[in-house]
Amino acid sequence: MKERDLKRAYNNVLAQAISTSQKYLFAGNLFGDIFVLSLKELDKCTEEPPSKLQVFKQGSDVDINCLAFHRDFLIVGAIGIIYGLPWNEEEQTLSPKRAWEIKIPMPVDAVEVPDVNSLWVCSETDTLYAGCGDGIVYQIDLEDGRIEREYRGHTDYVHCVVGQADGRLYSSGEDGTVHFWSDKQKEPLSILEPHKNRQLLRPDWGKWIGAVSVNDDWLICGGGPRPAIWHLRTMEYTRAFDFPGPVHVCDFVDDSVLIGGEHNHVQFYTLNGSLQANIPVENTSSYSSVWQTNPFNFMSIAGFSNKLHILKDFRFLDSKIELYGNVQDEDDVDNDGGKQEQEDEDLSF
Amino acid sequence: MEDVLNTQFVKLKEAMDNLFELKSSGHVSDFKQSSGALMFVALKHSNREVKRNIKSGRDELHLQKSKVDLSRLQLQNLLYEVSHLKKEIVRCQKLKSRDTYLELLSDKEYASKFSANGEEMNSDMSSHKTHLYRLECELRLRKELDSQYNALLTSKQELLQANLSQTQRYLSFAPALRTLQDSTKPLHDALQLSLDVEWKLNSIVKYLPRALYILFINLKSLQRAKEFPFNSEIVGFENDAQMQELLLDTENTLKERRNFAEKSNVMESVPDNLLGRLLKPHPLYISLVIESPDKSSELILLIRYWELLKCVTVRAQFSNNALTNNAQGDINLANDLLAHLYDDDLGHDIPVPGIEYEVTQLQFNEEECMEYLVKNGYGKPYCWLQSMCSIATIDKKKFFKHELNLHKWIIEVFQRISKRWRSWLRLNQQIRGLTYKDVDMYTLRENIYPEGLSCSLVQWTAISHEEFNIQNSDLLNNLSPANGITYTSYRAVIVRGSAKMECFIRIPSNYPLEIPLWILSVHWNGRHTAMNNAAIKMMEFWTNSLRPKQLEKNHRLLYSQLFRTIYSFDIFLETEGAMQATREYNKEKPYISTFTKRIRLRPYKYIRKGSMYTFKQ
Repeated sequence: MKERDLKRAYNNVLAQAISTSQKYLFAGNLFGDIFVLSLKELDKCTEEPPSKLQVFKQGSDVDINCLAFHRDFLIVGAIGIIYGLPWNEEEQTLSPKRAWEIKIPMPVDAVEVPDVNSLWVCSETDTLYAGCGDGIVYQIDLEDGRIEREYRGHTDYVHCVVGQADGRLYSSGEDGTVHFWSDKQKEPLSILEPHKNRQLLRPDWGKWIGAVSVNDDWLICGGGPRPAIWHLRTMEYTRAFDFPGPVHVCDFVDDSVLIGGEHNHVQFYTLNGSLQANIPVENTSSYSSVWQTNPFNFMSIAGFSNKLHILKDFRFLDSKIELYGNVQDEDDVDNDGGKQEQEDEDLSF
Repeated sequence: MEDVLNTQFVKLKEAMDNLFELKSSGHVSDFKQSSGALMFVALKHSNREVKRNIKSGRDELHLQKSKVDLSRLQLQNLLYEVSHLKKEIVRCQKLKSRDTYLELLSDKEYASKFSANGEEMNSDMSSHKTHLYRLECELRLRKELDSQYNALLTSKQELLQANLSQTQRYLSFAPALRTLQDSTKPLHDALQLSLDVEWKLNSIVKYLPRALYILFINLKSLQRAKEFPFNSEIVGFENDAQMQELLLDTENTLKERRNFAEKSNVMESVPDNLLGRLLKPHPLYISLVIESPDKSSELILLIRYWELLKCVTVRAQFSNNALTNNAQGDINLANDLLAHLYDDDLGHDIPVPGIEYEVTQLQFNEEECMEYLVKNGYGKPYCWLQSMCSIATIDKKKFFKHELNLHKWIIEVFQRISKRWRSWLRLNQQIRGLTYKDVDMYTLRENIYPEGLSCSLVQWTAISHEEFNIQNSDLLNNLSPANGITYTSYRAVIVRGSAKMECFIRIPSNYPLEIPLWILSVHWNGRHTAMNNAAIKMMEFWTNSLRPKQLEKNHRLLYSQLFRTIYSFDIFLETEGAMQATREYNKEKPYISTFTKRIRLRPYKYIRKGSMYTFKQ
C-alpha cells in the first residue's frame, strides 16, 4: 500500500481552528500536516469547484492534537509541547519556523511525555489554557509564555478544556469527571461525575468524558456516558440526549446543541432533548467542529476520515472537502513517495 | 431578246417574201433590196445585243455562284467549329483535378501550420479558391519535406562514409595488435590469462536477427564472466531461417507486381490468416534459463523477435525440479514477475516508436497484434526486454529510451528478477505455512513479544476477489486505481475466547513493490470494522503502515504483519470494556496507560529497549 493511499485512508483530523480574520480554516491531523482552506471559496455561490487546499508539514513525528488561533498565531498542541506559528494573511503562508515554544513540565520520574489534548484561549486576558495528558490544566500567559498556574485535580488525562471570560474554567477527563475551576480558588469549585448516574452510564464505553461545553447557565458534557445538559447552579441534569455512540464533540450552536462522536452521524438537538437534525458524516468518529456566524454561517466537522464536512445553515450537509488528494502541488509529494517506494523495493525480505 | 430577233426574222422573211414575189413577177426594185439589206444590219445589231446580254447574264450567274460557294464554306466551317466545341465541352466535363488522390493535411493541422498565411486570406474566398490555396500550401510543404528528406539522406550517406572510414582505420590496427598479442604470449602464460580462447559460436548465430544477436552475444559474454548463473541457447534450425529469408525475397517481388487495388482486396478477404501469416516470429529464438534462488526450479524465458513489429517478446515458464502441484499458479507467478519488474511496464502495447503507423499501413491495429501475441502464447513486449536487445523504446508517458550500456542493464534486469523471485518464494512459503499451519507461531523470529500470544490463528484460506471487495471498507474507496495489478485474496481468522477477528488480506501481483493490504473485522459484541469503530481503524492503520524497511533483518513481511495484527487485537480486547462488571480479558501486556489523546488511542506500538519491552501509543 502506497504512502499516499495510506494517508488518504487513515487521515485522522483531530483539530481545527478559524483565523482571527475569519477567512481561513486550519485543520491538523495525526500525520503532522496542517491543511489551510480559504473560506472565501465557500462563500461565493458559484458552481465552480473551490480551489485546492494548502498543506504545511510539521514533520511526521508531530501529532497535531489540538489547534487554536490567537491574533496572528496558529497555536499547535502536540506531544509535550505547545508552539506558535505566525500566519501571514497576505501571502497566505504559515511560517515553517516556530515563533515560540512552551514545553509542558515533566516530573523527573515521568515515563511518558504528556499530550496536549485541548486548548482554550481567553483573548480578553491573553491567556491560554491547555488540558494535558498528565491530568493537569496549565494556564499560560501568552505575553511571556510563562506557566501561571497548574490546575491539578484530574486522576487521568484531560480530554477537553473550556472556559468563560469571567475566569471560570471547566475541564473533563478520562477519569470520568468534569472539574469546575475558578481562577480565584485553588481547589475545584465542584466536581461532576456523570457516570455515577445510572441513567447516563453506558458500561460498554466507560466513564470518560470526551467533551464539555458551557454557556451562561448551562453545561453539556458527554463521552462514555450519555451526553446530557446540566444546570450550572443546581448541578442537576435536566435532559439527556440519545446520541447513539461515544461523544467526542459537543457544543452550543445558536439555540441548539451539537453532538458528535463515534457514530456515522452528527446530531443537533434542541435544549429540551428532541432531535433537530441528523447529519451523515464519513468520519468513523468525529473529533472536531468549528463554526462561525459572522461574516456568514459556516461550520466544519472533521474526524477520522479524509473529508471536512461543511454546513452553512447548521441543519444540512452542504459539501464535503477532500483533504489529501485535494492539495496544491501534490505531485511533488507523490514524487517523494515514489522515491520512497523505490528504496523499499531494494530491500529483500 | 427572242422577241427582238423574232421580229427581225419576221420582218426579214416578209421582206424576202416580198422580194421573192417581186422577182418572180419580174419586178426588181433596188429600193426593196437595199431596205432588205439594211434589215440584216439591224439583225446583226440585235444579234450582238443578244450576245452581250447573254454574256452579262452569265457573268452575273458566276458572281452569284461564287457568293453561294463562299457562304457554304462558311457554314461548313461553323459546323466544324460546333462539333469541335462540343468535343471540347465533353472533354472539359470529363476533366477532373487529380488533387482528390492527394492526402491533404487535415483542417486542424492546416490551420495550425498556416495560420499566419490564413489571416491574409479573404474570408469570403470561394471554397474552390481556398482549396487551391491549400493545394499550393501542400505543395510548398511537400517540397520542404522533400528537401529535408534529401538533406537527411545525404547526412546518412555521410555518416555511412565516416563509419566506413573509421572501420578502415580500426581494421588497420588489427595486424599490429595481432603481433602484439603474439609477442606478449609468454607474459599471458605467466599471468595465466587466457586471452586466446576461441569464441566458439555456432554457425546458427549468424542467422539470428540483429536484436537477438546483440542479446545473445551479451548473454554469452556474461555467461563467461560467470557473474550470474544462467544459461542461454538458440532454439530453431538453420534451414528454417534460410527458408524464411528466401520466402521473404519472393514475397517482396510478388508484392511489387501486384497492384494496389488487388492487394487491398486480398487483405480484406482473409484478415485472420493474414495476421498470422504476416506476424510470424523469426524461426530462431533464444531460450534463457535462470535458476531460482533456492535452486529448486528454473525459470525459462523464451525470447522471440518479430520482424514486422520490430520488437522482441518474452514468454516465461517454469520447470520445476521439485513438486509440480501448481502449474497454473507458477505461470501466473512468472507472468506477474515479469509484468511488474518495472513500474508502468506492463507490456500492454508495443513500445517501438512509430510502430502504430506501420501497423496501420498494413491495415491492422496495435490491439489486434497484441491480442494475437497473447493468444498464441508468445508473451509480451516489455520495455526492459527491448532495452536488453538495444531496441529503442517509447513508453506511455512518451519517454524515449535507448539503452546502450547493455552489459550493465542485463545484469540489473537479472538481479531484479532474482530479487523479486526470492521475495515471491518467501511470500509463497509464508502463505503455504499459514494455510497448512506447518509453522510454529511461537518460535517464529517475527514473534517479537517474548511472553507469547493470547490470540491464535485458526484459519487461513484463499478467497475470491469478489469476497474481498464485499468488505465495504473506506480503505478500498481511497486507494489509487489499480494499474494492471491483479490481486490474490486471503481470509484469516484469529480467535481469543469469545472474540473473533476476520482479516481480509489482499496480496498484489506487483509484490513487493506494493505490500499486502489488510482489512480487519472484529466480531465481539457486534461487528466492528474500520467503518464503525475508530479503534479498529487505528488497528488497521497500524497493520497496514508496516513498511518493509522497518523490518529487522531476515524478518518476513507477511508474518510480521500477522503478528502486528494479533498483538493489536490482544491489546484491543484487553483495553475494551473497562466499566463492565465481568471482564473477559485481563491485562496481560505491559503498557503504562490504556488510553491517550482525545481519540482514546490504545497502546498498539511495541517498544523494546534492551531486555525491557512495553507497548505504547
